Amino acid sequence: MKQNHQMSAPLRRAIDFLKTYDGPEVRIMEVCGTHTHEIFKQGIRQLLSPKITLISGPGCPVCVTPAGYIDRAVALALDHGVTVCTFGDLMRVPGTEMSLSMARGRGGDVRVVYAPEDAEKLAAEHPEKPFAFLSVGFETTTPSSCLAVDHAIRDGLDNFTLLTANKTMPAAYEAMKNSTDLFLYPGHVHAITGLADVKKMQQEGVSGVVAGFTAGELITALAIAVKKYGEGVPFYVNAYPRVVTDEGSPEAKQLVAKYMEPCDAWWRGIGMLPDSGMRLKKAYARFDAAERYALPEGNGKDNPGCHCGDVLQGRCRPEDCPLFGTVCTPVHPTGACMVSSEGACSAYYLYGGEK
Amino acid sequence: MCVGLSAKVVKIKDKGTVLVDASGAKREVAASLLDHLEPGDYVMVHAGTAIAKITDDDGHETDNLLDHLL
Ligand code: SF4
Repeated sequence: MKQNHQMSAPLRRAIDFLKTYDGPEVRIMEVCGTHTHEIFKQGIRQLLSPKITLISGPGCPVCVTPAGYIDRAVALALDHGVTVCTFGDLMRVPGTEMSLSMARGRGGDVRVVYAPEDAEKLAAEHPEKPFAFLSVGFETTTPSSCLAVDHAIRDGLDNFTLLTANKTMPAAYEAMKNSTDLFLYPGHVHAITGLADVKKMQQEGVSGVVAGFTAGELITALAIAVKKYGEGVPFYVNAYPRVVTDEGSPEAKQLVAKYMEPCDAWWRGIGMLPDSGMRLKKAYARFDAAERYALPEGNGKDNPGCHCGDVLQGRCRPEDCPLFGTVCTPVHPTGACMVSSEGACSAYYLYGGEK
Repeated sequence: MCVGLSAKVVKIKDKGTVLVDASGAKREVAASLLDHLEPGDYVMVHAGTAIAKITDDDGHETDNLLDHLL
């Protein structure tokens, strides 16, 4: 861990506990890509006894966005003349034939924005052009997309759409629960959703700790997770109460429920998970780029050599992929887990692997 | 894209917007999901929207959690 001379006594005890832990072996899946990166960056893996194994899960929205979605976005830009606005991380994710940055190289109008709201503002400034925002993300970012639609209605826009690939985490917990002994739940997701989902998992016998993102918060969450695991009873702990409350954000939940509804969704490398996605309701179909431009369905094709699916499900480590670090690097990524700054492969590559 | 920033509210603007300071970088973000924000409050920002208030500092909170445990 990075040097912190003001480390408190409880935190020191937590570090000692994690270092010297000699109980039953425990596997902990950090579902969230930001957790994966912070754990590497803060050197927390080096603090863990060999009895504690961390597994990187599917919690990076870019990594689980399927090639077919990129194909649709490319088609919007190149075949339909739509200005495609996206978070930067999606630019280099491979589609079946090309990425969005390649589509831009071929004349497509593809722009990087910081927020869905920025795309809505661009659409308001250029009423003569059609705009589509690539709405990718989990519970943390979906409200922002809905807010952009809300503002498009307020501003009377007819040239703004979303191409949705929004996903919800509980389906991932269900799909991954047999790959791990317990979860490190993503704090920001639960800032929106509250604790109902983690309580439900506990009732199903699945344990986990809701974790924040600073070094101290991660060490605390891990120490709680390991300590409680030793007690042998399914549990959940909210170790991030300064941000996460029991009920989450009713305003965000209401906003999303107004504009979107659950749908089945395809996760790159994992496949179809029922009710794991969010799409615009029929009443708002005019804001849905897939409806408006009649984009064909299609799951696209991933590079057959890429092991992203196994990495995302904790079945192998990035280093076990034969393309890791040779064919596939952050500069020339083969799979989405290497593209995204939150992907497990990029974390292993940047921070030098397991230890 | 999924990374949240903690930021300090500097100024309340109209139409559900606030000006925040995230480690020195100032930016307007949507704040219509949070009631009763005041300058000086800390918020978690995702994709240009303040999604949650931050009620404590992390050191104080982690110490509290750990005190009962170890
Ligand atoms: S190293 Fe590259 S090719 Fe292999 S799983 Fe990771 S992203 Fe896919």
